[in-house]
Amino acid sequence: MTNTGGGLGAPPRTALPALGVAAIWLFLLVFLVYPLARIFYDAVTDEAGRLTVAHFVEFARDRFYQRSLVNSLLLGLGTVAATSALGFAIAFLLVRYEFVGRNLFSYLTLIPIISPPLVGVLGFTFIMGRAGTVNVLLMDWFDLVRPINFVYGVHGVLLVETLHLFPMITLNVVDALAKIDPALEEAAESVGARGWRKLRTITLPLTTPGYAAGALLVFIWTFSDFATPLVLGVHDLLAAQAYLNIVQFVDRRLFRMGIVISALMVVLALGFLIAARQYVAIKDYSSLAYSRVARRRLSGLRQALVVVFLSLVMLASFVPYLGVALASVGRGWSLTPFPVQYTLHYFERVIVETPKYILNSFLYSALAVAIGIAVGVPIAWLLARTRIPGRDTLDGLNTLILAIPGTAIGIAYVRAFHFDLPGLDRGLTSFWIILPLVLAIRRLPYTVRGSYASLLLVHRSLEEAAASVGATGVRSFRDVTLPLVWRGVLVGALFSFMTSLQEASAVLFLSLGGWETMTVGIFSFYIAGSANEAAALGVILILVAALSVVVINRVAGARMGGMFG
Amino acid sequence: MKIALRDVVKRFGAVIAVDRATLDVSDGELFTLLGPSGCGKTTLLRLIAGFSRADAGEIWFDDQRVEALPPWRRHIGMVFQNYALWPHMTVRGNVTYGLKLRKLAGAEIERRLQEGLRKVNLVGLEDRYPGQLSGGQQQRVALARALVLNPDILLLDEPLSNLDAKIRMQVRGEIRKLQKELGITTIYVTHDQEEALSLSDRVAVMRDGVIRQTAPPKELYERPATRFVADFVGVNNFIPGVCQGLADGHVVADTALGRIRARAAAMLKPGDRCVVVVRPENIALSSGSENTFEGRVVLASYLGNTLRYDVETNRGPLLKVDVRDPWHHEALAAGQRVTVSFPASAALMLVDD
Repeated sequence: MTNTGGGLGAPPRTALPALGVAAIWLFLLVFLVYPLARIFYDAVTDEAGRLTVAHFVEFARDRFYQRSLVNSLLLGLGTVAATSALGFAIAFLLVRYEFVGRNLFSYLTLIPIISPPLVGVLGFTFIMGRAGTVNVLLMDWFDLVRPINFVYGVHGVLLVETLHLFPMITLNVVDALAKIDPALEEAAESVGARGWRKLRTITLPLTTPGYAAGALLVFIWTFSDFATPLVLGVHDLLAAQAYLNIVQFVDRRLFRMGIVISALMVVLALGFLIAARQYVAIKDYSSLAYSRVARRRLSGLRQALVVVFLSLVMLASFVPYLGVALASVGRGWSLTPFPVQYTLHYFERVIVETPKYILNSFLYSALAVAIGIAVGVPIAWLLARTRIPGRDTLDGLNTLILAIPGTAIGIAYVRAFHFDLPGLDRGLTSFWIILPLVLAIRRLPYTVRGSYASLLLVHRSLEEAAASVGATGVRSFRDVTLPLVWRGVLVGALFSFMTSLQEASAVLFLSLGGWETMTVGIFSFYIAGSANEAAALGVILILVAALSVVVINRVAGARMGGMFG
Repeated sequence: MKIALRDVVKRFGAVIAVDRATLDVSDGELFTLLGPSGCGKTTLLRLIAGFSRADAGEIWFDDQRVEALPPWRRHIGMVFQNYALWPHMTVRGNVTYGLKLRKLAGAEIERRLQEGLRKVNLVGLEDRYPGQLSGGQQQRVALARALVLNPDILLLDEPLSNLDAKIRMQVRGEIRKLQKELGITTIYVTHDQEEALSLSDRVAVMRDGVIRQTAPPKELYERPATRFVADFVGVNNFIPGVCQGLADGHVVADTALGRIRARAAAMLKPGDRCVVVVRPENIALSSGSENTFEGRVVLASYLGNTLRYDVETNRGPLLKVDVRDPWHHEALAAGQRVTVSFPASAALMLVDD
């Protein structure tokens, strides 16, 4: 074949594709494996480079870290429990029952997960905070003397994370439920199982593989999220500590502790990932179901209850958008339920006066997507079409990225690329290109999965048929494969782009003056007390996300569930 | 247990999946629903099982009407097309699930498990997961799962369609043997006419939701009631014509082939359009006392136990003619002139539907 280093179209036979494969591996080694290895190395060595467990001992002895660890674990488990209850209930209603507005709700359910998380927290504080709309109304109407603390504290973090992350469970369970062959449930009925019994012993166990993947992501997300707790004034969580320790850059001991924490996060993610893989590997229940379980139509009263329940959940999930939208155009919003005056001043500030947030975000995200396609599509092709050595490792690394928290990657990059580059007296961390690079790595799985899924759909025999009538590797790729897979690649790319714009954790660690992205802007504006500017940026992020989703749906009628599995 | 269906109707929207189905299955009988895909046979089975409700008609198990009963009250055992083994349970888990629901004692459950596995030759595989079994083994687990509850009725939905040809023949024999031993009333759904003929006590042929004929296999093959049944079961020659009337106990028809004498299987009057049906194995490569025609060989297909000639008759229509013992037969070359004939007793005259 005469293909380039991209290695697309036919099995690699010449030196050029081999070079391409080598380049892919080099990229992954330098920008994924090395930084992670580096923080492990730092975590187990002292200043002189001797092996030691002293850092871990110090961490374990520290009362505050102990408490933070326990809090983080509890918060993670609590969020998993809460999202599971909510996510399962909603998934079941959507898949198994017919009621007014079912289609609408199944779309709405997606929205929280694709909305920028940082923006969500802001919105909650505007509406549910101490001086937020709800408290003001309560005080006006019921003469409430002291505001109710809805959001500040661990319970607030739990609430915000749950309402943001429950779709992760819903999507996975909906997917799993749809794959269950109805005959499996009928078989249960034929031997006498029904109702809760059937649900508990047959239906639920069959959804576990998909559910486990969702629950894992929820846990890791919550465990490693520092922005939400910090905005809500919660500091005694591991992720928050890691952030505070790393960004202070003064105390070397604290800095080291930050690295230890991030190493812990990676270990945890790895452990969970391996456990989940083992579990899922022995339990692949997906069958190509011949048909689906028929939806049951609910009686009038039950239908009303379901619609009320879902509406309440959606209302709670959409509170942040309302809050952010109001704050972005509202002036003088304090101790009143809604803003007194409306203005476009804040948009002017973040768009006209300091356009860097938006420009940087789009530039970095676009570059990240380009890198992601250049690396991700060939990886997808290697996974789907070849048996080259290291294929499983490639697959494993790709999944690992999904599990590794942005916080850990951010810290790893800070540590790993700080050294001066040969020929330059500065490290990679002083060049803005590090931001697109870290985004590309973080979002790589989306491109790989999107492309891989569509490559699997293009059966090998289609390419072979092209070859049989005389199309060479490149030609058959161009004429047969590409027209059939571009949608998948595009969907993966768009999804990467949208989520790159929303990335907060890794970027917050690496951003320097002049490189600020929208999320960095939101965070620093809010922390500095300029909530309105933060909200204006938030609105822009939400609009971009909404637009991306519309385009993705247009392109693929996409089931985005696959992106989160 | 006897099963009786009276004018059972099932609609899916505007489509009538089962149209006034009436049939009687006697105690201990193996009764097959045969038909092409989409003919309503599986729908009918699911109505009997209770997985869907009939829109009209009655379903009786002995003296009890069961339309309103859910599947778990009908004392049925069901084997699904793709087995529907629960992948998260072992063989033991699958087979004993229904027993546990009935809160039987542990020792009793184990005894019934072993008995069930013995029946289907699966002893020793209790702790395997379905994913670790071959297709034939999965099929037997499904059978054991259905049988351990000692159901009154066994329902089998295309149980062999996912198996290789060899295994299919073997399991087919085992199912038949087991069913006779247990004497359990069984309804068997298949689209494979050979399977239906070899297994069944009686067969109901369905098409477009309607039962076209119910008969024992031999009668179904030798005396199909309609052109569809004659076509669906086995291989047949069809010669359209016009009925002329009775002569010497046979009916006579004018066809494209010429005048043909045949048995009358339907109420035919002179002047009716009809079709003469004759099996390839009943046509001889020689002249006979009646129904003798000239033609030439256009194709010879070697089928192992049979050699099948396509003979183009002088008057036009093509006839398939089987030679039963190709070992002792010198194959004729294409183009060779032949005389073919068949006795009136082996030809059937049907209304052309």
